[in-house]
Amino acid sequence: MAPEKQHEEHAHGEEHLRETHLMLDPKPRGEMNAMVMEAMHYTTWKFWVVAAVLAVIVAVGLFYSWGVMIAEGLGLAGINRPSYWGIFIVNTVFWIGISHAGTFISAILRVFKAEFRRPFTRAAELMTTFGLMQAGFSIFMHMGRVWLAYWLFPYPNQRLIWPNLHSPLTWDVLAITTYLLASTMYLFLPLIPDLAMARDRTEGGWRKVAYRILALGFRGTEGEWKHLRLAMNIFAFAIIPVMFSVHTIVSWDFAAATRPGWSSTIFGPYFVVGALHSGMGAVVIVLAIVRGTMKNMKYFIRAEHFEAIGKLMLIISMTWAYFFFNDYIVQWYGGDKWTNILLHFHEAGPLGFLWFLMLAVNIVIPWAVLWNKKWRSNPWIVGIVGLLINVGMWIERYIIVPISLTINRTPFTWSLYKPGIEIPLGIGTLALFILLYMLASKFIPLVPAWEVQEGQLAHRFTKYGRETVVTVSELE
Amino acid sequence: MANLDKESAVSVNLTNPEEGKWGMVIDRDLCTGCQACVAACAMENNLAFVGEELSGNGRSMHWIRIERFWEGEYPEVKATPFEPTMCQQCGYAPCEPVCPAYATVHSQDQQLNLQVYNRCVGTRYCGNNCPYQVRSFNWFDYERPEPLNNQFNPDVTVRRRGVMEKCTFCIQRIKRAEDTARAEGREVADGEFAPACAQACPANAIVFGRVDKPETVVSQLAKQARGVKRLEELGTFPHVTYLKAG
Amino acid sequence: MAETLSLLAVFSDLEPAADAMDRLRALGVPEDHLNVISGIPLNEAMLGRKQQHSNVPKIALGGAVLGFLVGSALVFGTPYNYPVPIQVGRQPIIPGPPSFIVLFELTMLIMLLSTFLGVFLDSYFPSYRPKQYVADVSDGKIAIFFACPEDQKDKFSQAMTALGAEKVEVAEAKPL
Repeated sequence: MAPEKQHEEHAHGEEHLRETHLMLDPKPRGEMNAMVMEAMHYTTWKFWVVAAVLAVIVAVGLFYSWGVMIAEGLGLAGINRPSYWGIFIVNTVFWIGISHAGTFISAILRVFKAEFRRPFTRAAELMTTFGLMQAGFSIFMHMGRVWLAYWLFPYPNQRLIWPNLHSPLTWDVLAITTYLLASTMYLFLPLIPDLAMARDRTEGGWRKVAYRILALGFRGTEGEWKHLRLAMNIFAFAIIPVMFSVHTIVSWDFAAATRPGWSSTIFGPYFVVGALHSGMGAVVIVLAIVRGTMKNMKYFIRAEHFEAIGKLMLIISMTWAYFFFNDYIVQWYGGDKWTNILLHFHEAGPLGFLWFLMLAVNIVIPWAVLWNKKWRSNPWIVGIVGLLINVGMWIERYIIVPISLTINRTPFTWSLYKPGIEIPLGIGTLALFILLYMLASKFIPLVPAWEVQEGQLAHRFTKYGRETVVTVSELE
Repeated sequence: MANLDKESAVSVNLTNPEEGKWGMVIDRDLCTGCQACVAACAMENNLAFVGEELSGNGRSMHWIRIERFWEGEYPEVKATPFEPTMCQQCGYAPCEPVCPAYATVHSQDQQLNLQVYNRCVGTRYCGNNCPYQVRSFNWFDYERPEPLNNQFNPDVTVRRRGVMEKCTFCIQRIKRAEDTARAEGREVADGEFAPACAQACPANAIVFGRVDKPETVVSQLAKQARGVKRLEELGTFPHVTYLKAG
Repeated sequence: MAETLSLLAVFSDLEPAADAMDRLRALGVPEDHLNVISGIPLNEAMLGRKQQHSNVPKIALGGAVLGFLVGSALVFGTPYNYPVPIQVGRQPIIPGPPSFIVLFELTMLIMLLSTFLGVFLDSYFPSYRPKQYVADVSDGKIAIFFACPEDQKDKFSQAMTALGAEKVEVAEAKPL
């Protein structure tokens, strides 16, 4: 091969890498800031129509229905003996699961220095905070006397009663509170430099006031960066065990109980992986929509990101299948009368089709689609798989909670759960999640521009002999 | 292996180290399924009347119910004997530790399983965790039309919406008997009082008394070969013994 | 000694900024009169600076200890707060394994709250007083603030411009 031709090919290879990898395609920070700001400011009438519809759904489905339920009583919901827990708990577990995605991406991937995380850590962290809010709403809806919810928190009180530390629900209160506060702080810390950026690029108006207040007077001095990076590092490491503890404790709500099907020692990791399964699915849905609808996002979120998350989704789906089978075979082998009846009820009961649908969308479809690099690089294909996984994971919790509760050791009480007011309330939490996310995407920079720039600075083309390769230096 | 003789190995786990204090024996061979206990319990304990529709949906508030099953395929069906079911007042109650608000706790004095209505926030975890499914939840506030409001038992609180409730072994009657006995400087005599269900039972199928005293009628009955505890394998140590021949 | 001025020089890239720092040191500006602000975090060594001192890890550790103590108070203190300890399900009054959960969650909660607070304390957040700042910094530029004698302003400016400074101006505190 002629040397010029070879050189040309290398140049072409570099060009291709640039096109596909955000980290190799640097733009001046000023330009990136302008793109992020434009994405934040730019709205069409469609955005506001969707927001208005969601606001109506939230007002009616969530707040009005909830108000009526508080005033009338929990009987408006379909929960009934023996299914004392229903869609409220399903939704709580589901939303906590969604919230795991943010921490997984912004903490675990940060700790392991996975560079592809950079443009969407914030998009994922936002899901954590808003998802946990919906989980909080769902669990409060579930309470018979929600106006006394503060009794569950440990604080000195005139009643001289402290929470019962034996109860998994008390552990839940502590763990979810810890996780909500920690993930909100972890969302805020890397946001400070971006808020300062927004402050510098906003002229007057309420936004200027808000950014000024929220940026806390950040300038970017050496000290400020040092404290910020140290704190982010501490958070990244510490929030991982907190995240694991949250969903493990959620699983103990079930596993600690004396119920057939619930009393399983593998529920902890099974739930954590299930949470990541639905969480990653939700991240790709959000990223596909953000990329498709927000301005300039095609620069920041590229096929490579869907490809990378798609790979993670495939691995998590396999892990989930492993835990599912592990849980199933031990219960099946045990031969306990009630467990056998329950397993039969799962598969061949009136809602048996849900069980098979769950396996199809949680295992079969991800495996069939995500092995293919070309398919998993397509945002819409991965987004749809993510959506299906979320349907499947919701069904999984539905099978674990109300369907499993139908069968107990007192056959006289067996009766099938039929949801009531849970349905509008559940739709209301979904609408509130989307609405909050939409509004937040118009108020805070959704892409951490400084982290992207930091990553781009760390990536270089290096020549090894005749070959040009990409090298990453550890700036952090 | 010297220490692991059969006797001590068995005695470690399979018997209740403490029989409890108050207990009940229900003779399924005597029960006629007349529901008198159900009615008496509702009157004594100010149970809410939920109406026909809610009752049909399985939301009646009864603290005691008569269970009965059909066995076999039609037309070869056989009815099982009646089985009055109420809170078994477990010694190791699964409902107790799971309540985050200490609303269901173990009474040291009576060795009973208490439900503290005004501490309950309605998580219904206890209801899930009860293997006997004998807890009932106040799904609504239930009105009591005139003049039925005049028949409330003043010794028992009424419960509002959003709290769990269950059989208490008529703890108000236990307390009254204990107080009377203490005032008179004596122990409560066997058979001096009975919970509403036992009192109302025309067949004497329900017998109540001290299970920790071997000479009481209830202890004598419970010791029979006919006696079983429900779901004994769970290790909940219920204080109710069912008698059934064959 | 003549009056001193506070000047700022803005650089686009790291290399010229590092050269400028060396030049300023050579011109006799003491290290503690040099200040750098940047749009991305820079390691201190990149500009030949001393390691910044941070209290954040210590505050975090203090928070962890405090959290453990609060957790211990909950676990070991509250169950004996009643005239008769409350018995549930024949479990011990102080439950064994669940205590670890409570201790873990409270340790983590208060540790993370203190870490967050530590950033505020160490960085003097929030502070809305007027400060020396150039908005170019959030566009990824590096600004060096330094003190120089008033009569040598031109000399310093030229030195900075020669090394590639985009602009050199008198630093003024202004509202951010």
